[in-house]
Amino acid sequence: MTVQSQSQLQSESSSTAAIYFAILGIVTTAFGLADLLVTAGGAEFVYGTAILEIPNDIFRGGWGGLVVLSAGLFYLSGAKNIGEIHQFAKVAMGSILIWIMAGSDIFAMITESIPGGEDGSWFNTLDGFLAMYAPPYAPAVLLLPFSLVVLYYIYHRD
Amino acid sequence: MGHPNVGKSVFFNRLTGANVTESNYPGTTVDYTKGWMKIEGEDVELVDVPGTFSLDPKDKAEDVAVAMLHETRDVKVISVIDASKIERGLYLALEIIEEGYPVVIALNMWDVAWDKNIRIDARKLEQILGVPVVPTTAISGEGIKELVSRLKDIQPVEVDDIIANAGGLT
Amino acid sequence: MTLSLEERWTLIDKISRETVTFGKYEHTLKDAIGELTVKPLTGIPVAIAIMYGFWSAFGSFAGTLMTDGFFVKLFDGYWLPWLQGAFPGQGSWLYSIMVDAGGLGGSEFVLSDTCFEAFGVLTSGIFVAIGVVLPAISIFYLMLALLEDVGYMPRLAVLLDTVLHRVGLHGYAIVPTILSLGCNVPGVAATRILETKKQRFIMMTLLAIFIPCGAQIGIMDKVVPALMGWILLYLIIGYFIFGYILNKVVPGKAPEFLIDVPPYRKPLMRNITKKIWGRITGFFKVALPFVMLGCAIVNVLYLLGVIQWLGDVLAPIFVGWFGVPKETAGPLVAAFLRKDLAVAQLSVINMTDYQRITAVVLVTIYFPCVATFAMMLKEGWKELIAAIGVLIIVVFTYGGLIHLIGIILGVAE
Repeated sequence: MTVQSQSQLQSESSSTAAIYFAILGIVTTAFGLADLLVTAGGAEFVYGTAILEIPNDIFRGGWGGLVVLSAGLFYLSGAKNIGEIHQFAKVAMGSILIWIMAGSDIFAMITESIPGGEDGSWFNTLDGFLAMYAPPYAPAVLLLPFSLVVLYYIYHRD
Repeated sequence: MGHPNVGKSVFFNRLTGANVTESNYPGTTVDYTKGWMKIEGEDVELVDVPGTFSLDPKDKAEDVAVAMLHETRDVKVISVIDASKIERGLYLALEIIEEGYPVVIALNMWDVAWDKNIRIDARKLEQILGVPVVPTTAISGEGIKELVSRLKDIQPVEVDDIIANAGGLT
Repeated sequence: MTLSLEERWTLIDKISRETVTFGKYEHTLKDAIGELTVKPLTGIPVAIAIMYGFWSAFGSFAGTLMTDGFFVKLFDGYWLPWLQGAFPGQGSWLYSIMVDAGGLGGSEFVLSDTCFEAFGVLTSGIFVAIGVVLPAISIFYLMLALLEDVGYMPRLAVLLDTVLHRVGLHGYAIVPTILSLGCNVPGVAATRILETKKQRFIMMTLLAIFIPCGAQIGIMDKVVPALMGWILLYLIIGYFIFGYILNKVVPGKAPEFLIDVPPYRKPLMRNITKKIWGRITGFFKVALPFVMLGCAIVNVLYLLGVIQWLGDVLAPIFVGWFGVPKETAGPLVAAFLRKDLAVAQLSVINMTDYQRITAVVLVTIYFPCVATFAMMLKEGWKELIAAIGVLIIVVFTYGGLIHLIGIILGVAE
């Protein structure tokens, strides 16, 4: 009896989580597929108001797209029955992949923003430095804040 | 001595202040390293050896460890055991005890065993084996001091006694 | 007295029954995540992601930030022009060796524009070592140390076990292989964890032939970034093809090996800084002198006309068999001392893309650098000679094969 009620309790609180990560999974998978399609197509894709920029090179778009796609699939496969530890681990893994991707992209931005460029001075100007961090962003960077939600569930699992 | 990846090199670095490479995977140490430590003002030589599963070496790195033990008869042995996998660790420890070496046992990775809900009665183990048994977590330094303090008065023990303490072989 | 195997286990059983209590073992999140990294279906995407992060951080830090961002500017813009003016005796032997050979082989002396072209000990030598290789190995070892200490390596080994079994190696072979990507020397030392002579020999030979070291990868990323994929692809394919063949040919056994997968751990800052510091000081002590010595030797050989002579003599092999220009003779000599230097020297020779790919692959596989050579000698001279025999066969068959592929694809003649 107690076991049953416990799992019921868990399932109630985790139903929101399941819905959240299912949606995140769909979006992430779509981003991953878009990455791969844009790379295959060759032209870079920037969304209207310039928030989203999908890279088209074989490294960030192709290889990276594959990683984003896997992250999406991790979310999707883990969203069902999320209260179960192995399922939840998949969701956590999805987020970890997003962190690797976003971390790589952000680190790349940082390293590009510091030096002054081939003909410039040693260091970048402040304007040039800040301009590097303006949108558009790669898919993983946009997904980053949404992927952090998993931390809440890691610390509030019990 | 001990199995691969139980933390022998971590102990060695802690005790001698040396800089042997430590990694979280088996097989980091493939050769022996000598270093010096002080026990109550006295300089004592300490040797870090590669991990081995038994005294019957299976590869070149294990060979180094076993040869080192057999070449130097008058040594004291710190037997490092992964507390979460205590049985196989005891196997090697017993082999060393049987060969007549004075042994102190470090039940290392105590934290990992604790996380896995494995509880070991170190005091009882010490009574049965007749050698000092010290729970340690080498990576954070817990238990190291006690280990060193027990090192000076260790003696070889007879396996017969251990068998008797354990209540026979049947 | 000693016990028999069974008696010992019975005794242990008794002892542990008295002293150990196993509580209910609950799967923690850490365990569940650990499982995901080992199972093929989920583990391969994770491995792909980790490699992506590794490679991205490597390129961003070493390439974009350090080398292109600062060192190229410093060395080409300030150091080279200053030294070209300040060093006495332009055109003299010493000047050519130390500072600027002024377009080696050409009849007229022209001051070089970049540190790649200058070839001098104090220009190219120091630029390659400090400006390109040092940042590359720093970030490489940082990432490697993190993966090591977290405990990912053995999991990668388990994951790759099935693949590596085909080449007669168990998954643990991935550890020497990855260590070799940093530097072949610790990679060769790590083969000692393999059980049989056969496995050690196969591993050592494959490492020495096919695995480029961190220094070399760093410089390749700088001088031939667009061709990296092809070069690495050729090397990986070669690793497996020849591993497979060696496994069939070399006598002996390749037994199963069970690995303990250690728990994931939070890496300790102290340990990581210690490892990297050791590597970097090692680099200054060993690699830097070798790069400079390599520069000097190649320059002297050029000035004596030995390299041109060697190029002419070996031209049929270079041009006919491999399809690369005969000028590659110079870098191949340098490659014995330092592979990174050789790749840098290759970059200023006029070549088609095909020739460049082939030349870099050849530099990688043709001979282990002197430090690796010494390490292999320590493991046994018989094995070393056998390994060199294998190496010669591999260089000729594989080099010819790449040429053949080039001809088929229509990019080589």
